Amino acid sequence: MNVTVDLDNRPPLAFYLSVGLVAGSIIALQIGIMRVFSVGSWAHFGSLVVSLAMFGFGLTSAVMCVAKGWFERHWEGAVKGALLAFGPLMVVCNLAAQQVPFNAIFLISDPMQKWRLFANFVLYFLPFLAGALYLGVVFLKAQKTFSRVYFADLVGSGLCGLSVLLAMYVFAPDDLIMAPLLLWLAGGVLWFVAFNDRRGIATIVGVAVLSALVHHVAPPLLGIPKLAVSDYKGVSYARKFPDAQRTYERASPFGYMEVYSSSYLHFAPGQSDNAAFNLKNMPANAYLGFYLDSEGPSGIIKDLPAEETPYFRYLPMFYPYVLKQAPETFVVQFGGGISTAVALKSGSSHVTVAEGNPAVLTAFREDPGLRTFTGDVLRNPKITVIDYDGRLFVAHTKKRYDIVDLSLADSAGLSSPGGFSIVEKYSYTREAMSAYMRALKDGGILSVTLWNKEEPPKSVLKLYATMAAAARDVDGGNIANKFYVVSSYLSTATVLYKRGGFTPEDIAKLAAHTKAMSFDEIYAPGLKVDTTELAQILQDYRDQFFFQGEPADPTAPSEKEPNDKPPPGAPGATEAKDGAPPVPRVPATVLGRLAWHYHINGGWQKVADEYVFDTRILTNHQPYFAAYIKVKDLLKFTDRLETVQDEWGYLLLWATLGIATIFALTLVLLPVVFGWRTIFSRYPGKAGTMVYFLCLGLGYIIVEVGMISHFILALSNATVSASVLITGMLVFSGIGSFVSERYLDRARTIMPRIFAAIFLILAFYAFTIDYALDWAGTLPYALRIAICLLLILPPAFLMGFPMPTAMTTLGRLGKDHMFLWAWGINGCFSVIGAALVPIVATSFGLPAVVLMGAFAYLIALPAFYSVLMPLTKERPAAA
Amino acid sequence: MKRRSFVSGTLAASSLALAGPSLVSPAFAATIKPYSWDLNPPTDTRENFIAWGKSRGEDPMFLGQRWDRFQALLKNKDIWGATTIRAFLLTPREEFASVNPAIYKRAYEHNFLDIGYGVTMSGPHLQGRMTNVIDVKRGEKVLEIGTGSGVQSAYIANLTENAYTIEIIKPLGDRTRALYDKLIEKGYTEFKHIKSKVADGYYGWEEAGPFDKIIVTCGIDHVPPPLLQQLKAGGVMVIPVGPPGAQRVLKVAKTQGADGSITTSREDIYGGKIVPFVPFTKLDGDKIVGTHNR
Repeated sequence: MNVTVDLDNRPPLAFYLSVGLVAGSIIALQIGIMRVFSVGSWAHFGSLVVSLAMFGFGLTSAVMCVAKGWFERHWEGAVKGALLAFGPLMVVCNLAAQQVPFNAIFLISDPMQKWRLFANFVLYFLPFLAGALYLGVVFLKAQKTFSRVYFADLVGSGLCGLSVLLAMYVFAPDDLIMAPLLLWLAGGVLWFVAFNDRRGIATIVGVAVLSALVHHVAPPLLGIPKLAVSDYKGVSYARKFPDAQRTYERASPFGYMEVYSSSYLHFAPGQSDNAAFNLKNMPANAYLGFYLDSEGPSGIIKDLPAEETPYFRYLPMFYPYVLKQAPETFVVQFGGGISTAVALKSGSSHVTVAEGNPAVLTAFREDPGLRTFTGDVLRNPKITVIDYDGRLFVAHTKKRYDIVDLSLADSAGLSSPGGFSIVEKYSYTREAMSAYMRALKDGGILSVTLWNKEEPPKSVLKLYATMAAAARDVDGGNIANKFYVVSSYLSTATVLYKRGGFTPEDIAKLAAHTKAMSFDEIYAPGLKVDTTELAQILQDYRDQFFFQGEPADPTAPSEKEPNDKPPPGAPGATEAKDGAPPVPRVPATVLGRLAWHYHINGGWQKVADEYVFDTRILTNHQPYFAAYIKVKDLLKFTDRLETVQDEWGYLLLWATLGIATIFALTLVLLPVVFGWRTIFSRYPGKAGTMVYFLCLGLGYIIVEVGMISHFILALSNATVSASVLITGMLVFSGIGSFVSERYLDRARTIMPRIFAAIFLILAFYAFTIDYALDWAGTLPYALRIAICLLLILPPAFLMGFPMPTAMTTLGRLGKDHMFLWAWGINGCFSVIGAALVPIVATSFGLPAVVLMGAFAYLIALPAFYSVLMPLTKERPAAA
Repeated sequence: MKRRSFVSGTLAASSLALAGPSLVSPAFAATIKPYSWDLNPPTDTRENFIAWGKSRGEDPMFLGQRWDRFQALLKNKDIWGATTIRAFLLTPREEFASVNPAIYKRAYEHNFLDIGYGVTMSGPHLQGRMTNVIDVKRGEKVLEIGTGSGVQSAYIANLTENAYTIEIIKPLGDRTRALYDKLIEKGYTEFKHIKSKVADGYYGWEEAGPFDKIIVTCGIDHVPPPLLQQLKAGGVMVIPVGPPGAQRVLKVAKTQGADGSITTSREDIYGGKIVPFVPFTKLDGDKIVGTHNR
């Protein structure tokens, strides 16, 4: 039997729980889809799809605003329909999307791929539309108790966000959709319980069972994948090797980890070509392939017998051991264990090794296969394991080391065809490098090896600049004898820093080793560099992308065009005068030498300004090996995207921002266009109200997403940081929303103070929170999480006030259309804000992000008075 | 036709074509005039080339595309040696693209194309440049690692009788071998020069070595030592690095000093000469209308 429930007057608890669970299921679905994209294809395309799918809220709001009367009359049916559709849609659309996978690498070359991406967007948009409709109608019917419903919405989202992260321990990525489905089922059942609708309960349980059955039974029955992993993901290649065997698999919030064994897996990151002529035997089957979210491989190295260890000599991470005997070594990141193995087999008296990913440590400590393969390396008596970021440990330990090693912390390092996601690399910042340098004993050596596979070089130039700046922080002005740098073209680059400086004998030994390895010397104290080549190299690198010449005319070759210089061996290529083979001239190598010349002697900034890519240093405020395209050149790259494929992750942010802005403005302005003279005609303060909700939408998400990046500093893991922040912010804001109801009558006087307080706290945090997080990072993990939660409590609690106060006010003033419109504005600008954060962070730094959030709340202060304006009585509002 | 069966039928057909050995037959399936080292396609005019190719039994539409791309290759100096030019003009890329109906008609585009198994067929500019850079002389032994679509070895087969190619993915290796055999039957007897096997290319082909030139067409984090060992002193190896479509090609030269010591040097085949990169030309439909750098 159905009962009528007045949502504006003391609705039952089951109603609030239902709102919380369904809102939570929406968050869970977002996280779930992101995981599906991470494992199956490209994470940043997942962000794009999910961001745009969130416009389901904007569209619902716009439609409801225009057709408010209909929704008021049919609200029960609308909620019921939306609710019953939400669960099956998430399952069916997800399965359907897996049958139209798109390949990012063909996005430019294959016109079909754009349609596949579009199909993914449409499919994932549908469930969000249903979820948004449910929430929209609920809010419409509960205007006067908005703060409580909003409390349920936020707290539910926060807690369910956390629960889906825990669900990642239970469900593998291909079944993770079950998490939002279960939350939806619980929320749906509670809805019908609140309305005492037994038939509804039976229906939704039936629909849920059917949905789960479709997810589990349809794929094997139809021979279709539950999660289509792109053929171009690393793990897909491993799976095709005839003797490939998956020896380990574990799903957790820290990623979906798989380990494969195969005789076809070969690793020797950065190995010298000379190994071929000097090593009797290359170690056979020496590696297992380690894949995280289908990306990889990283090599897990076997415990090599003594006769095979000469192999290590040919790897770039061996460099510090050329000079150090029986050193005490610190390895900043364990990864697959290569650096640790090199340290042990090169005679380290003791090795301290850190690893920030608990899933990696669990695998190496607990899996019998991995333990046997690696000789149970983590239990080696010579090893001490630090189970958090090496960067944090080093910054606060009193211990000093002979060698600190940070080598190829990421996977195989082959360029990513679909681009990289923008991720924080705090281990490589100026602050981290200074900490490593300070953790060295006198005469100790810091060795940093990075992939050098970009042409034009990008990451290595950032690394060089960062390390030179860090050395100046530690040693003051003169750093000329502190460095020795080598690289191998399109392979790796290694920077050595010695506390106290290299002696001529050190340099002689290193130079001999470099020659024996056929590596290129990039910097050594006293190395002569010809600076006259600089201008031409900078020009050539620019021309590579922006050459302005005659158009190619295939029927009329012309000497003027193109600007190619012929390749080696072609007519016109430079030959040495004596007929000997020309000495290879590699611009990237020459540019590396020039970079160090200017870092040591000053003047790099001018060179960097003229270089085609951005090579600014990494700092805790801008910890990115990404966003190399200078903002001023962005538009120039739009017709040559294929030349910057590994920048697509960054470019997609701009694309998301652009598309989101167009969508948002369209949806926000739709009701205005249709109803400026009718629906909104007697609503005063329209512009102010729009600015108010725009600021709240932007401000809240900017602070949330920006803080997630910030808090990685202490929590050292993006997943944990996201879960702590999402849960903390939403729950505290939910509580704020609940409390705000008490101050509703005094809003005019209280709210300005709230806004001012939010602004001041955020502005203060923007410049100081790094220090607190840096300190917190050294504490036990549970305490770190507690401190992080404490840190976000004050702003998050206060940020819970503005939205419900204004919404309830609109409801009480009878500004119903504006109520719906405001909700849409808030939702739309949240999407814009989320896209804006990484762009502002990469361009101006993380403090700028938080500051931007602070200013959004400051601007909302005066705009709040527009919300308070009562309806004018002269003209009747149209329905 | 019911939409559902149409859609699933289309999906099934395309997945079969990508995964299995079934091939799409080119529209023009006449018998081809068998290969000989004396075959010399004209390089003076498009018309003459098409007429000559037609008399060999090839499809004029694809011959036209081959000529246009050849001009673009010349323009970008991706190809300059007479023997490599001949190899390019004799190689029917469309036959190798026929494994995937979706790319069959796009064989001469500058783009890299999907041939299934997570493998792409590189674009003609990259392949042209790689082939010309290693400057294969008749009789030289050339090893290719990563058979893939088979088109790279097809170029080599027009330059020497001793082309060796290894593919790691068995179904792909088998499919391409079947394609070579079918093309040989059809008259492209130059592909008899290609010895192929399915194996882990990391270890090279020791019994057949040493090689004068080695082309690696798959990515790895280091140059495989067995390949360097199987490369003759004075030999050259080329390896593309980077994602499809934006690859740099590493050239490794092995030299032996007077004292017998062996050294290697690395450079980029585009290196020392930074060039506007792949894809250089801009297509408007089927026509090359300019460069991406304008």
